[in-house]
Amino acid sequence: MIFQQLINGLMLGASYALVAIGYTLIFGVLKLLYFAHGEVFMVGAFVGLYLVILGHANIYVALIGAMIACGLLGIIAVYVSVRPVPKDRPLAPLISTIGLTIILQNLAVYMFGGQQMAFPETIRQELYHLGPVTISSVQIFILAIAITLMLVLWLFIEHSKTGRAIRATAENHETAALLGVDVNRVVLITFVIGSGIAGVAGVLDGIKNSGVSPFMGLGAAVKGLIVMLLGGLGNVPGAMVAGLMLGMIEILSAAYIGTTERDFFSFLILILILLYKPTGLFGTRTIEER
Amino acid sequence: MPDAPANGVCLAIEGLTKRFGGFYALNDLHMQVATGHIHALIGPNGAGKTTFFNLVTGVLPADTGRILFEGKLVDDARPSKRTLRGIARTFQNIRLFPHLSVLETVMIGAHCRAFPSVVAALGKAVLQPPFGEAGEERTMRDRAIELLAFFGLAERQDAKASDLPYGDQRKLEMARALATEPRLLLLDEPAAGMNPHETLELDETIKKIRDRGVTVVLVEHDMRLVMEISDRITVLNFGTRIADGVPGEIQSNPAVIEAYLGEDVKL
Amino acid sequence: MFEGLLDGYTRSLLIFAGINVIAAYSFYAPFKTGQVSLGQAGFMAVGAYASAILTQKFGIPFAAALIFGGVVGGIVGVAVGFPALRIKGIYLLLLTLGFAEIISVIVLSWDYVGGAQGFRKIPFNRYTLDYVIAIIAVLLVLFARLERSSLGRAMDSIHQDETAAEAMGIDVVRIKLLAFGLGAMIAGLAGALYAHHATFMDSTTFNVMMGVEILMFVVVGGGSTFLGPLVGAAVLNIIPEILRALRDWLELLPVAWTNFYPMNRVYDFLHDFLDFENAKRLIAYGVILIIMMIVRPDGLLTRDGLRRLSPARWKLKHA
Repeated sequence: MIFQQLINGLMLGASYALVAIGYTLIFGVLKLLYFAHGEVFMVGAFVGLYLVILGHANIYVALIGAMIACGLLGIIAVYVSVRPVPKDRPLAPLISTIGLTIILQNLAVYMFGGQQMAFPETIRQELYHLGPVTISSVQIFILAIAITLMLVLWLFIEHSKTGRAIRATAENHETAALLGVDVNRVVLITFVIGSGIAGVAGVLDGIKNSGVSPFMGLGAAVKGLIVMLLGGLGNVPGAMVAGLMLGMIEILSAAYIGTTERDFFSFLILILILLYKPTGLFGTRTIEER
Repeated sequence: MPDAPANGVCLAIEGLTKRFGGFYALNDLHMQVATGHIHALIGPNGAGKTTFFNLVTGVLPADTGRILFEGKLVDDARPSKRTLRGIARTFQNIRLFPHLSVLETVMIGAHCRAFPSVVAALGKAVLQPPFGEAGEERTMRDRAIELLAFFGLAERQDAKASDLPYGDQRKLEMARALATEPRLLLLDEPAAGMNPHETLELDETIKKIRDRGVTVVLVEHDMRLVMEISDRITVLNFGTRIADGVPGEIQSNPAVIEAYLGEDVKL
Repeated sequence: MFEGLLDGYTRSLLIFAGINVIAAYSFYAPFKTGQVSLGQAGFMAVGAYASAILTQKFGIPFAAALIFGGVVGGIVGVAVGFPALRIKGIYLLLLTLGFAEIISVIVLSWDYVGGAQGFRKIPFNRYTLDYVIAIIAVLLVLFARLERSSLGRAMDSIHQDETAAEAMGIDVVRIKLLAFGLGAMIAGLAGALYAHHATFMDSTTFNVMMGVEILMFVVVGGGSTFLGPLVGAAVLNIIPEILRALRDWLELLPVAWTNFYPMNRVYDFLHDFLDFENAKRLIAYGVILIIMMIVRPDGLLTRDGLRRLSPARWKLKHA
């Protein structure tokens, strides 16, 4: 039984991790709380849904389609609500991304209605038994994609030239610029990557829950924030680990304490971390304070 | 002139130590500042001088040692309490309030004397007469204007503090600190960024502050200024005191000269 | 008051707008000292539930319950305010957000106040509008006075440079706590008023979006002046209604003007877009927010802007 819950926890955690990655990447590079990120997650889910339903696409095409669509959404977001807004008033960019959130969420409601929509079966459901554990092909698929994505991203951030540029920008814009980094381009790339990954996460979530709803974004946004903080602001590997941890904690507390209390522990963790270890479990990687 | 304690020591530092990891910012510092003196704290860069100010004003806690102000132990945890006792400071990189006017900035300094209790301040805010100025407000404003005039800033009282030229901003910081009615004023590199003419003016300003009855401790790199106006000088190197005396003694002290070797400074 | 003058819809609209104004001031109080809180909806919940328990479970009259709601909100506010003292920026945002979410979870799992079904049959208060107007009037006077006072200046100084303010003898700790507690108390009042007008609430009523909206009222209205929260809340609440009114006016256009192509297409588009349906109006709302932050990030009203408009300056210029 506990193994079952652990698997569920991993799946939930993978979802959290993928959303938090984008959040923390963007925060690291811009010190901006990109509130609309949850809605990007939702958009990805819907794009995937419609590719499957209308385009009769297979799941891989749906995933890639969602990634591309959300990457484009990231570009739009930068040009519409990030670049034009002055950065020296910290709350203004926050509000403009909130405006974007409202637009995206209500666009979805307008186009698809306020109800949950079913995500059709795209992977043949098969159950595998490994000792006490029963795991389905769907779960394996989701975990495989999520972990692959996280590994690829981790390699990219730590070892590629662009990844280094991103990390340099996260530490200090001026220094990065002096080193020849085009800060604006890095910000754009960060948004594209973060949004693309969130898009994939959305589709995976749709598969897992067999459904998508225009309101799935807000919950993802809030949980993503907690994971981001837990892992350390701006810390991408930290966000990955923290996401998995939080997913496990939530599932285990729901299983052994009660479903209504499940969120309680997440927020309790949030508050404890804020009070006692605001740099997160693994340290922050973001623009230094004055 | 306010009463000075019988033995005339305004600030006494006993065995003050502050470490950051393995590095000693201040190492067993002993120092005495006489009431009514202008006392300078000098030393090559990184010698721990701003840390000293942060310890005296309570921004950082000391590891060991005691600070005595007018004979009484200073151990308030919060800087605002120490300011209420009569210790005021300026900052090395000027910290003004970006959106307040020059006059309002100085009136902030006066707030703690007019309203030491927050409840009283709230009560006054709520119960003030709807038009015109309350009594305390007028007093604070008059005092602020007097201070601005002392520094020659009276005509610019409505200008935004951040619009002032650099030299005037430094003066404004001093005016604000004086508005708290201190008996000890800590000046953190008041001459930084000033041209020679302005620093000559600063000589006079600091002396006039002293003449108002305020003991002055300054941290400074400008040796001409230091030697010209100080009554006493303490020299730090790597957090340790290497000399303490009148300007003449310091100038000819071999340990001091050696500490400054390699620095572009004429003693 | 106003019994005969207002129809039920307008009355309700004004009440909700008014409650939002009060909520906006609950954000403004801590904001004046530089504390940005996303948790004011949580304090509203505290006041709402505290007061509703008194009225519905113990039959206590609304006025007393209202005060109780405010007081409890204030006490909880000071309790949260203590750890908030040493936290800034995004961390404070997250702390206050976490607090609001925990309140939601508590309410969800507490069966005494309805649990998942929500708190039903809260006694309806006929005089909500009167209370709302009275409280707004008091708040306006309070914050206007605060702005002119030394304490208000001290709060501004804390907002602009907390370290320097502390060094100048300003009792930063007490003032921040006072501001935070005051804000929470005001939020508690707003929550109590809401509960006794809507007569129903559950764990989703005082949610993240509400906390975010409250922040928006002040930032859009202008956080540097005491009129900002009022204007911001009023404008943002009225915009959806203006859009609805625009549609009504659109229908008044003579048919002849819009019968032909392309005008009929334009008409159809606008009419559809301004539809009563929530989603489209909210999209327009989101667009307006983004445009506002690009064009006027300091908010609609600024203290400097208002000063430039003051009659004294006008006289000086035109004397």
